[in-house]
Amino acid sequence: MHAKLNQDKTDWSPFPYLQEADVISVQRGPEAGGAAGGWRALRETMRGMKTTFARLVEGPVTLQYPEEKTAVYPRFRGRHKLHRFTDTGLEKCVGCSLCAAACPADCIRVVARENDPDDRVSAGERYAEVYEINLARCIFCGYCEIACPFDAITMGHDYEMADYNRADLIFTKEMLLAEPIERAPLKREGE
Amino acid sequence: MPPTKTKTEKTTETRILFRNIDEPGLSKISTYKRLGGYKSLVKAYTEMTPEDLLAELEASDLRGRGGAGFSMGKKASFLPRGDMDKYLCCNADESEPGTFKDRELMQKNPHQLIEGMVIAARAAGANRCFIYIRGEYVLQADTLDRAVAEAYEAGYLGEDVCGTGEQVELVVHRGAGAYICGEETALLDSLEGKRGNPRLKPPFPAVEGLYGGPTLINNVETLSNLPHIVASGAEWFRSFGTEQSPGTKVVSVSGDVAKPGNYEIELGVPVRGIIDDLAGGASGKAKLKCFFPGGSSSPVLTVEEGMDLPYSFEAMADAGSMLGSGSIIVCDEETSVVELALRVARFYHHESCGKCTPCREGTNWTVKMLERLSHGEATPIDLETIVSVQGNITGNCLCVLGDSMAAPVSALVAKYRPEFDQAISMGGVNGHATAGNGHGGDALPDVAWPLGAGSAG
Amino acid sequence: MVEPIRELVTITVDGREITAPEGQMLHDAAKSGDVEIPVFCYEPKLGEPVGACRMCLVEIEGIPKLQTSCSTPIRDGMVVHTKTDQVKEAQNAVVEFLLVNHPLDCPVCDKGGECPLQDISMGWGPGKSRFTDVKRHFQKPIELSPLIALDRERCILCYRCVRFSQEVAEDEQLQLLERGDRTFVGTFDDRPYDDPYHGNVIELCPVGALTTYTYRFRARPWDIEDAGSVCTLCSSQCNVKFSIRDEEVLRVLARDNEDVDDGWLCDKGRFGFQSFGSEDRITQPMLRGGDGELSPISWDDALSRVTKALKSSGEKTAVLAGGGTSNEEGWLLGRVLREGLAGNAIDSGAHPADAGAVRGLSNPALTARMRDIDHAGAVLVLGADPRNEMPICDLRIRKGVRRNGVRLAVATDSPTALDRRAHAVGRYLPGAAAGFISQLAGEIRSEGSSSGPDAEAVAALATELRGAEDVVVVWGEELWSEPRAISALMDLATVLGIEGTETSGLIEIPTEANGRGLREVGCLPGASAGLAEAPAGPGVSEFCEKLRDGSLETILLADSDPVRTHPDGEGWKQALGNAFVIAISSFETPSASLANLVIPAENFSEKEGTITHPEGRLQRVRRNVPPPDGLLPTWNFLAAVATELGVDCGFSDQPGLFTAMTSSNGLYQGITEEDLAGQGVRWQDREGAAGRVPAGGATPQMAAPTSAPGSAGAPDSIRLGTRRDLWAAEVAERSPALEFLVPMQSLEISIPDAERLGLKQGQAVEVSAGDGASVEAKVAIREAMIPGAAFLICGARDGNGNLLTGAVPGSRTIRIEVATPVGQTENT
Repeated sequence: MHAKLNQDKTDWSPFPYLQEADVISVQRGPEAGGAAGGWRALRETMRGMKTTFARLVEGPVTLQYPEEKTAVYPRFRGRHKLHRFTDTGLEKCVGCSLCAAACPADCIRVVARENDPDDRVSAGERYAEVYEINLARCIFCGYCEIACPFDAITMGHDYEMADYNRADLIFTKEMLLAEPIERAPLKREGE
Repeated sequence: MPPTKTKTEKTTETRILFRNIDEPGLSKISTYKRLGGYKSLVKAYTEMTPEDLLAELEASDLRGRGGAGFSMGKKASFLPRGDMDKYLCCNADESEPGTFKDRELMQKNPHQLIEGMVIAARAAGANRCFIYIRGEYVLQADTLDRAVAEAYEAGYLGEDVCGTGEQVELVVHRGAGAYICGEETALLDSLEGKRGNPRLKPPFPAVEGLYGGPTLINNVETLSNLPHIVASGAEWFRSFGTEQSPGTKVVSVSGDVAKPGNYEIELGVPVRGIIDDLAGGASGKAKLKCFFPGGSSSPVLTVEEGMDLPYSFEAMADAGSMLGSGSIIVCDEETSVVELALRVARFYHHESCGKCTPCREGTNWTVKMLERLSHGEATPIDLETIVSVQGNITGNCLCVLGDSMAAPVSALVAKYRPEFDQAISMGGVNGHATAGNGHGGDALPDVAWPLGAGSAG
Repeated sequence: MVEPIRELVTITVDGREITAPEGQMLHDAAKSGDVEIPVFCYEPKLGEPVGACRMCLVEIEGIPKLQTSCSTPIRDGMVVHTKTDQVKEAQNAVVEFLLVNHPLDCPVCDKGGECPLQDISMGWGPGKSRFTDVKRHFQKPIELSPLIALDRERCILCYRCVRFSQEVAEDEQLQLLERGDRTFVGTFDDRPYDDPYHGNVIELCPVGALTTYTYRFRARPWDIEDAGSVCTLCSSQCNVKFSIRDEEVLRVLARDNEDVDDGWLCDKGRFGFQSFGSEDRITQPMLRGGDGELSPISWDDALSRVTKALKSSGEKTAVLAGGGTSNEEGWLLGRVLREGLAGNAIDSGAHPADAGAVRGLSNPALTARMRDIDHAGAVLVLGADPRNEMPICDLRIRKGVRRNGVRLAVATDSPTALDRRAHAVGRYLPGAAAGFISQLAGEIRSEGSSSGPDAEAVAALATELRGAEDVVVVWGEELWSEPRAISALMDLATVLGIEGTETSGLIEIPTEANGRGLREVGCLPGASAGLAEAPAGPGVSEFCEKLRDGSLETILLADSDPVRTHPDGEGWKQALGNAFVIAISSFETPSASLANLVIPAENFSEKEGTITHPEGRLQRVRRNVPPPDGLLPTWNFLAAVATELGVDCGFSDQPGLFTAMTSSNGLYQGITEEDLAGQGVRWQDREGAAGRVPAGGATPQMAAPTSAPGSAGAPDSIRLGTRRDLWAAEVAERSPALEFLVPMQSLEISIPDAERLGLKQGQAVEVSAGDGASVEAKVAIREAMIPGAAFLICGARDGNGNLLTGAVPGSRTIRIEVATPVGQTENT
């Protein structure tokens, strides 16, 4: 195709595949420079400054992070939380490992164990003896939350998880079960 | 041996098996022999070859009286010939609700059965016979034990039957009271000392039965017919009944009838004649509503459908039901169909052996749904589910027990759907049942469960 | 009786033409044609189908009702549909019914993720249940045995475990109790399920009703990796599959190999993995210091010390291999000794095998396959109790007897588990096997020739064997302790015409897991790799004496524990105390505790190498988990030792070692790792096998029938024999789950002897023999025992029976002293 078109053309074209009829010439702005050019530059600058000065009176919008935090939407997927039953205090998690199976980043590790009927940890026959999430790997997709058949794991709103040490980013069951410090404010309706 | 006929108003009894049933002391060998007993046995062993016997049986077209109605002679002919241990089992595990014919036959005329068995043993080439009798039939088993001892003493059983050198051993074995042991393969397992569960068929018992040997299994009534066929011939036997259902049948009539009991009729007489003429019609003021033509496992027939049909294997099958063990359970208008369905389902749930899934879980589920229905806790969806579950059970089970519940329950729902709908919308059947029910809160007809009610001869 | 060959027929399933042997069950035929029909209760390994679950209903043209494909044999031209509406409806119905009483808490259930019920519900179920009522409830979990938990709520009553118990293991302990939907699985009177194969029911269970305490809730299928190997805990050499999580073995499953194990595992193989991670395990080279305590040393140090010790003792070095020592390791041991040290004291096993006789018995025509047992005309078990020595062989014999009408004859000194199934049983006194066997051979040759007290038993055995078409003789290594017994055995083989038929033969049950392989790679006096001629040397029974008198100075024990497992334990104790001992061992075994140097060994989840099954099958043991920190592979260490001693190895990795090992071995020559694949390969099945066994050595002498064995010894004396117990083993003691099975020493004695001596069942006695060593034991009076003999468990932890045997088993008589008064025993 190309070769054929090129044969038809006598002079070189950057668009050899275009037919002459397809080329539409577009008119550009006037040439820069000259008095008219100077005026146009000044006019456009003033037009921009108008917006700037108009915003000036509204005061600063910068959030003073970390003193101030960005509010997040209610369905924001932040740090995970593990839950207990409010009445019995037993862990909701039964250590089924479905979250680990669903996790695309392979960052959840669950080692289950059999409950001692006299000293129950969870409501079912099994419980998670080890429950770890490597937040350095987590991509916060929320699949674990969706996979959980017992609503034992949910994504919270906390997004401040930076640390100095990679190892510290492996959250254990105790850390995930502990009532997290909810530092992220929630967006209000209409915000 | 001409049959005696007792005259009732219209339909008459035709007594062959019951010919001397009211004779005092018939269970004793002396009385039985005085009335012509054991002549057929002698004839079968001295004048006939096993092949003659088998031909005679096949010619008589005697159909099994236990429920399935399979030709007895044909069944016997399936047994392989040759020198091997063959067995004959008499199925006396009569457990079908509403059926109590074998009880009377064994209690009053045990020698007729023993004579029939020894004849069948010759026809089938079996030399080891068992009577598997249900454990609850204590009196009948004791009677049989005595009769067997008498027969041994008289030389009709033992190592040398009638001096012919043939050996026939007979053992009366008492079951432990499971309905399923009336199923032939479960009977064999139980007889072998195993858990009484049906076996997978094929192989059929005729090929591989008791202890792996060819086995012929027949009902008490079937075997009791044999002495008469041998005595009077197949042609004579075929003169009774219809073309496809020759002979007579002992019918156990129970339920809301004036005179429940066993009546021996010629096959093919109208059902109305049995219920109205022999059993005296409805017991209470209420009109009759429906009846089970062949025990609780047969689909119910309404009075309109079934009363004027001839009582024969083929007519009942054509009407969508079956003759089964030949026991008619009659229900009148005051019977709650929902309770009736529940009662039937409960029986089969209790008796399911638990081996195959559809029967084990289907009967359990049906009972739970029907219970809710009768307590007024069901929804219209439940009724749909009941119907669909019966459909799912039918044809998918290892043996026929599951189907035995599914058939009557689905027939009841199909034929009396408004009553079920009413139970759902009115909050159960209790309101309905107590409103002017002559049975005083018990919505069930007086069905003669085999152990419970007495019977009239 | 050869396995019947069936004609091939063609059937059509869902439009596909499938060719399969006539009479095969429709389900299997469809499977071979890639049509999957769901099943729960069907398992061909369990025998006849029961058709209980009704999951496999299919439509067969010409039959109005749906049929169970698991129980329908195929006929030529059969047309089957598995995807019609009618079938779909039935499948939906059955799944819905099954879920009526099955709890739907899969996340909690241990089977979740590998559950046939889950899979079939997803694949063939209606997707939802209409059941809204209350499900049945049971107390759960119930301890079916200390190893298995039973959850009756989850049970779908498929009959698999019950059938296993009734028809495979034949212990008949599991039963279905109650009826209808109230049915549940249980044992009589809730007694614990006690059977050495009972772990198999866990694998058979299609739901999470039967689970093991060792794996329960430990991992999910997506947490684990499967890895295959071969179990080296006994000579059954079952193919296993490890479930590995975080580089740790969590579970052992059977890896179906019909030629070897039929897909079963014994509990030792299934639960013995717990010893891998035992805290007592030796993971570093250890040196016994002056204080008698072992202390860790570096591998370099260990290498130099071993080399030094070997160099200094030179040809006065002995090598004893055993256990799971691989063929490669055994071959290296042979080279180290023969080439590096010019020694010739090398052996394996517990009883002295003669190189010439081994060559004779290695004749491919004389060796039976395991699967020959299935369809043999008769099986003779000679001098062995398969249940305790090669458990899977026991199951195979049972299968043959139950399903294929194999006639079973048992001739042993002590009672075996197979006695109950046997058609004829013979008993001889310990140490009198030779006479008994030659008497049996004579009786088979000419009826009525035997006389004496055994005549009746011998005649009964002979009747079973005489006319039998194919005879498989399963015999125990113990027979080697009587040299004449082996020649009698050869004679018996001739009488039975074993050499002439393809499907008959002998199988030896060695005491060591790789007994056959070790002999074939040169761990045998007078035979080097491939059973080739080598300078004669002392056998295992002579080591003991020579170590004591100093004519051997150093002994290298490779996974061998002679103090425990070999006859004359007392003598071995002294011998090892007197010599420089280098032990390659995982634990401080009774022998290793006398060692000067201990080199840690790998187990069969860590080792790379091959082993040889008693039927001659080479199988591969694979490394699936890394061994504990820094543990050097044994072959690697041995190769280093060999190099130090100037033996040219010429390989640098395991595959190279394998090639070097096979190419130097006349029997194994040409076998590649590809040949071994997953199922292994029998060297006898390869081309030219008959010519591979070097001829030679001493021709076994024919034993003349001797006088009746009963006549030996004083009239009232009781001869001591030993019997093996599956659980009297290091691995059972080191696995927490199995520890409860470790047997107490018991003295099995016949009823007349017990009565004569006034012994009561369970009475504590002190048994002594020979020069005064004694063992405490409880009296166990048994039927089917031969009077004049008593048996102690060999290798028991407390009171090892081997301590009393002396060098020649069955040669000693014992004295029994009552340790506690009778009255006291009765009260307790």
